[in-house]
Amino acid sequence: MGRQISFIKAIREAFHEEMQRDESVFVIGEDVQAGIFATTSGLVDEFGPLRVVNTPICESTFVGVGVGAAMTGMRPVVQIMFSDFTFMAMEMIANQAGQWHYLSAGALSVPMVIEAPAGARGGAGYGHSQSIEAAFMYPPGLKVVVPSNPYDAKGLFKTAIRDNNPVLFFEHRRLLTMRGEVPEGEYTIPFGQARIHRAGTDCTVVAVGRMVHEAMAAATELAAEGISIEVIDPRTLVPLDEEAIHQSLRKTYHLIVAEEGRKRSGFGAELVAIAAEKWFDCLDAPVQRLGAPSIPLPYSPVLEAACIPDSRRIAAAVRNSLQGA
Amino acid sequence: MRLDGSTLLELHRAMLLVRALEERVEQLVTAARVPCSGHFGLGQEAVGVGATGPLRHSDYLFGTHRGFAEYIGKGMTPKEILAEYYGKATSLSRGRLGQHLLKVEIGVMPLPSSLGSEFGISVGCALSSARRGTDAVTLNLFGEGTASSPDCFAALEMATLWKLPIVFVCSNNQFVELDRHSNVSPTVDVAPRAAGYGVPFEIADGNDITVVWETTARAVDRARRGDGPTFLEFKTYRRNTHYTGDPGGYQSREEIRLWEQKDPVDRSRKVLCDRGLLNDQDESEMLAGIAAEIEDAVRFAEDSPHPQPAFIEDEPYA
Repeated sequence: MGRQISFIKAIREAFHEEMQRDESVFVIGEDVQAGIFATTSGLVDEFGPLRVVNTPICESTFVGVGVGAAMTGMRPVVQIMFSDFTFMAMEMIANQAGQWHYLSAGALSVPMVIEAPAGARGGAGYGHSQSIEAAFMYPPGLKVVVPSNPYDAKGLFKTAIRDNNPVLFFEHRRLLTMRGEVPEGEYTIPFGQARIHRAGTDCTVVAVGRMVHEAMAAATELAAEGISIEVIDPRTLVPLDEEAIHQSLRKTYHLIVAEEGRKRSGFGAELVAIAAEKWFDCLDAPVQRLGAPSIPLPYSPVLEAACIPDSRRIAAAVRNSLQGA
Repeated sequence: MRLDGSTLLELHRAMLLVRALEERVEQLVTAARVPCSGHFGLGQEAVGVGATGPLRHSDYLFGTHRGFAEYIGKGMTPKEILAEYYGKATSLSRGRLGQHLLKVEIGVMPLPSSLGSEFGISVGCALSSARRGTDAVTLNLFGEGTASSPDCFAALEMATLWKLPIVFVCSNNQFVELDRHSNVSPTVDVAPRAAGYGVPFEIADGNDITVVWETTARAVDRARRGDGPTFLEFKTYRRNTHYTGDPGGYQSREEIRLWEQKDPVDRSRKVLCDRGLLNDQDESEMLAGIAAEIEDAVRFAEDSPHPQPAFIEDEPYA
């Protein structure tokens, strides 16, 4: 078995390598010198405070700073302490960062990464726990990355930094301490390439971010019943690897989508619409979407857990889908 | 820093051009020759032309939605402006931007529709030019209404914390869209707010182009030396309504007459004539040249093709 490191360490290595490789890369945000979730900890010692920049508490303005710096030759990584606060900078992301390349007919580009810890980890409450990645699929010009493991996180983060467009990079807080195999050497992972975590023949489960692990647990449970599911991790929601999902449906003819974010207008809504438009002949049963209800995420651990899909619910959805076949 | 006679003469011509171009585009808007409405700045030309006067080609400008003064001042041409207003394929944005004038190669940076969004972006631009080791200065020009944006305060905070090469220029024309500034803000002056962040400020006559140029030149020089941001407020008056077709009613006739007497073009003309640098005939020739340039630009825009819908999805990503 190769080297095992945590998700945090994987991101920190990506930062380190990219900042060494390219002087125009810098990180900016609240407490990035200390590193609230440790992904940037220690960088200031090597790269100094001009490249690891602490800001006052004003997301809208410091994301704007990222946009302006990106437009004029820098590659900022803007860290938002909790992804929920990204909405405070929605104007900068949706109306500015994503639009000026097109509007300027190519004269401007915004090579900026927004790194945002996301997701429920228990006990943090409504404004520190949401999964809001789907909200960034709507504005034009953005790319959206939701890694599910340390290996993908490192390779995708490096690609995000090198991309010439604004990229939103969501790190699930429950995955930050997860360990996984990450090779010593340099590698990147291209956007728009899904990862098939488990091949299967009966049902396709497309799972976003942390849901990949729930889907894998469901796969084990279902295998004992003789049901074989294919677990697909899209890794990037924009651009989306439609081909990988289509290929899978051509085998399974059943589609389940699982996300931690809200079901209404979520990633699943978009994927299922694509399936209905393009792959109607690959669907033998109604598609099923699993996601959070359209309510604020409640604080009580019991209520929080009730909002978020788990392996049991994914397995139930698969059984339900196959029974209809 | 003193404004010399030949530069003043250039600035005077630029103000004449801005005024004539705004009048012409206003006619085109009223006649529905262009698809947009317009926001014009009759009587406040000295701020935009004067503040951009001391800038270099390599400096950055974030301008306002009102009129053409700072865009002409930074080097955009009537042809470029009209092609954008007409939304034609020959425009720099290929029909995508309209009134949001942009010309990256001479440092004319994005004008967001959502006013105030440029504060953070302009600070990032200044941060970038400093970190890349250039001596470029960023000039962010905005109205007193936009100065209420919360981003204005955080931008001042960060610009001074990091000692960035940026000049904040507030063109105070006393009207915030359809209302008086005094009805929506408790302070007559905007600039003293900068002192709260330790940013030096000056308040000056925005209808005297010599004052605008010299005041801005000092601030630009200070920024270029690495001494950090300055906040300038130029007092002027908006004789136009907010947009073409806006019935107005919030300006009094008497007040407009009063400000007509402080007209910046009349004042620079007087200075130039008194110094023997301009006479009536010179100015007539200047105006004839300007009229020809504008009509040439209108013809160019009218005759230009529309952009092709077939290319609508080009360049969604870099």
